[in-house]
Amino acid sequence: MSSANVVQLLLSGLAMGAIYALTATGLFIAHLATTRMNFGQGEFLMFAAYLSMALLLAGVPVLLVAAAVIAALAIMGWALERFAIRPLDRLRSLGGGQYSWVLTTMGVALIVQNVVTLLWGKSSQYSPPLFSSNRQNVVQFLGVGVFVEELLVIVVALAVILSFYAFLYRTRQGRAIYAVAFSPETASLLGIDVRRTVALVFVMASVLAAISGVLVGPIVTVQPHMGLVFTVKAFAVASLGGFANPLGVLVGAIVFGVVESFANYLNSAFGDLYPLLLVMALLVIKPSGLFGEAKADVR
Amino acid sequence: MSASTQTSPWPRNGAYLAMAAAIFAFPLLVGNAFHIHIAQTLLYTTIAVIGLNMLLGLSGQMSLGQAGFYAIGAYASALLTAKLGWPIAAGMLAGAALAGLAGCLVGLVALRTRGLYLAMATLAFGFMTEIAAQRWIDLTGGTMGVYGVPALDFGSAKMGKTYFLWVVGSVYLAVQIASDYVMSSRIRRKLLALKENESAARTTGINVPLWRTTTFAVSSLAAGTAGVFFTHQNAYINSDAFTLSLTLTMLIATVIGGLGASWGPLIGTLITLMIAELIASLYDVSFLVNGLILLGVLLLFPQGAIGLVYKLAALFRAPQRTGSAAVVEAAAQRAFTPVAAPAASGPTLVIENVSKSYGGVVAVMKVSLSVDRGTVHALIGPNGAGKSTLINCVSGLYRADSGRIRLAGKDVSTLPAHARARMGLARTFQNLQLVNSLTVMENLQLGLRSRRSIVGDFCAWLLSDAFEAEERGRALDILQQLGMAHLASAFPEDLPYGHRKLAELARAIAEEPSVMLLDEPVAGLNDREAQDIAGLIRRIRDAGTSILLVEHNMDFVMQLADRVTVLDHGERIAEGAPSEVQKDPRVVEAYLGAPLEPATLAAAETAS
Repeated sequence: MSSANVVQLLLSGLAMGAIYALTATGLFIAHLATTRMNFGQGEFLMFAAYLSMALLLAGVPVLLVAAAVIAALAIMGWALERFAIRPLDRLRSLGGGQYSWVLTTMGVALIVQNVVTLLWGKSSQYSPPLFSSNRQNVVQFLGVGVFVEELLVIVVALAVILSFYAFLYRTRQGRAIYAVAFSPETASLLGIDVRRTVALVFVMASVLAAISGVLVGPIVTVQPHMGLVFTVKAFAVASLGGFANPLGVLVGAIVFGVVESFANYLNSAFGDLYPLLLVMALLVIKPSGLFGEAKADVR
Repeated sequence: MSASTQTSPWPRNGAYLAMAAAIFAFPLLVGNAFHIHIAQTLLYTTIAVIGLNMLLGLSGQMSLGQAGFYAIGAYASALLTAKLGWPIAAGMLAGAALAGLAGCLVGLVALRTRGLYLAMATLAFGFMTEIAAQRWIDLTGGTMGVYGVPALDFGSAKMGKTYFLWVVGSVYLAVQIASDYVMSSRIRRKLLALKENESAARTTGINVPLWRTTTFAVSSLAAGTAGVFFTHQNAYINSDAFTLSLTLTMLIATVIGGLGASWGPLIGTLITLMIAELIASLYDVSFLVNGLILLGVLLLFPQGAIGLVYKLAALFRAPQRTGSAAVVEAAAQRAFTPVAAPAASGPTLVIENVSKSYGGVVAVMKVSLSVDRGTVHALIGPNGAGKSTLINCVSGLYRADSGRIRLAGKDVSTLPAHARARMGLARTFQNLQLVNSLTVMENLQLGLRSRRSIVGDFCAWLLSDAFEAEERGRALDILQQLGMAHLASAFPEDLPYGHRKLAELARAIAEEPSVMLLDEPVAGLNDREAQDIAGLIRRIRDAGTSILLVEHNMDFVMQLADRVTVLDHGERIAEGAPSEVQKDPRVVEAYLGAPLEPATLAAAETAS
């Protein structure tokens, strides 16, 4: 492995890690406020990637594409919460029990996946580049040729995540999410609209999937089965962070992406499974993740 | 118990016989090979769904990786028989066992985590198995598959399918009977307790990690068994069969049938297979249809087909018997019996220098106290003094940072909560830890120590529906002495607060403990109710049980306690008889914050 290789692998890993961080942050925020999340997060991402590809191929300017995809996914996120998750509150302890939402969100994921295959077919496709004229354009970075797309994906994804943190910690609405996470009853007594906040976190999760989907198009092949891959990896990343701490999610995602990149290089057949196995082993040793803490109700 | 609860097991056993007869007759009456094939598929898929139903419906654990265990069973048996030439039976047993073993491994995650993490871990496991089946071509043949797998036809091309159906049918029936036993026995109560209320489960002696992992392993064994049958039914497998869709199909079948219902898996699988046949021609929209079914069932018919059947049946049937309330008069008055307590008097519970802090905040600091046999020792102190933390350290829900806890002379400091419970340590909780999906009677039964092994219990169940009559009689005794026998079949959530407190106390009494920890037993109760509880605690004490009592109601504490320990800021500031402690100036200060004359303080200092 040459040093040039190392830099390239590192950057590819960082790019995928940044995408995982975006997707997993969506899971994190929904889980934080509601202890539920979208098991179809990957399918939402996949749909966003297809939609973005279709619009780009139709000649729509990149910024407009991003805006349109974000708007579409925001609506999907709202509808998911409104029609597939919220009605379950009324049916508490029936059906799938406390995990009904896992099954309803997976049901929505199946529908999304089927719609995509109906619209765009089942085969893998290449999405046009976002930032340069060609997917394969290379710039010199640390004396090594690296893909422009990957470099800019990292920059944009990190910028989005940082502004997300700013929102979470610096705005009133962000603090409202933490209040709902702490206790919905208390939050509503403090004048916070809990329903709106819950709807908002699912919209945000969905928007994060949208941005991931737009960004991921040019650095992978787009195909209808990619959703599950991203759901599984985003979960792994979010559990690394213990679902407790957005910084943990970011660190977990970067580590995961980089390990995966090198593992893929070393073993092209099964390399992508190694980081998942590592996360599972870690969960056995440290169940609350790297940054989480175990809690029990023993009053 | 009186004859009124003696119900015959024959409706149930008759159903098994009828099912056995149907399985036997079906292939003989229906000559059509295709229909026999469908019946085989129905029966082995139901086996996997029964496992999932137990996992999800009773223990409340979500698995999204059942297809992975199914695949492990299928590939193991296919490869062992096709490549290594093992006999079919050996390959099948090994395949199912391997799936169970994989379940134990993945179950390690279940052992340490709950809910969401398990769902995630199983999703990842299923994903990895799917990838391995596709890409590990040297072993699995990928999408090309494994050829040369022997069919299970007992060497008869003509009758092979019939024999196969009989074998699958027998295994299914055995699994169904086992599942029905689980659903109507103490195993159900234990699983529901650990699903709903882990603290209650642990402090009534349930080894939560063990049960959780066992359920998980059993459900993967069931999935593996189905996979093994799948392999030798088709005599060929490839990686297309083991995707997430398979897992979702099994989950759909579980939910459609009705979660946690005995015949739910069979009915759910039947409906799911019928739908699959109906939409076979609509292959392009199969995901869409499955997604809509999932949403439709969970949002519109959350109790599934069984729920609908029960609703219809309820329209035509008189109200159910109210259970054990009818046999109240049969229960005998007798004193509460503690567990075989040490004959010698002296302390039964000794706490030595126990400390506990949370991330730098000291909650309990080197507290020592001992509770003599058959006495009430009260632990008082202002809010935040560390009383509940100490109780949690004693019961084992928290591990003390340092110090020792002895129970009847034995050091239990490192034992888990359930082991301490089994040694005769019972407790109640400040904010009530009852299992809400169990009746009051069943909550009490959680506390009772069963006198039968699982096998003995199973045999008794086969012979009679009233197989737990003796246990229920004991539980009813206790309830009657608390004046709430008429509420035996009520659910805790439907009871007023005072009765729920009593029910929790009754559960602790049912454990026949040598030491009982009571965390604020009269908080939120009125004076009359408090007096009732005080009388009850005296009777428990007189039966020889040692009681450690945390309570804020001073009148209550002072009339009951033989000794009192006062905590403030995690430290013991006084100990003695109630009358002494009441006069202690530091106790007064801790409670009222009254400024003291330096002289008084000095006097207290020298006095202690």
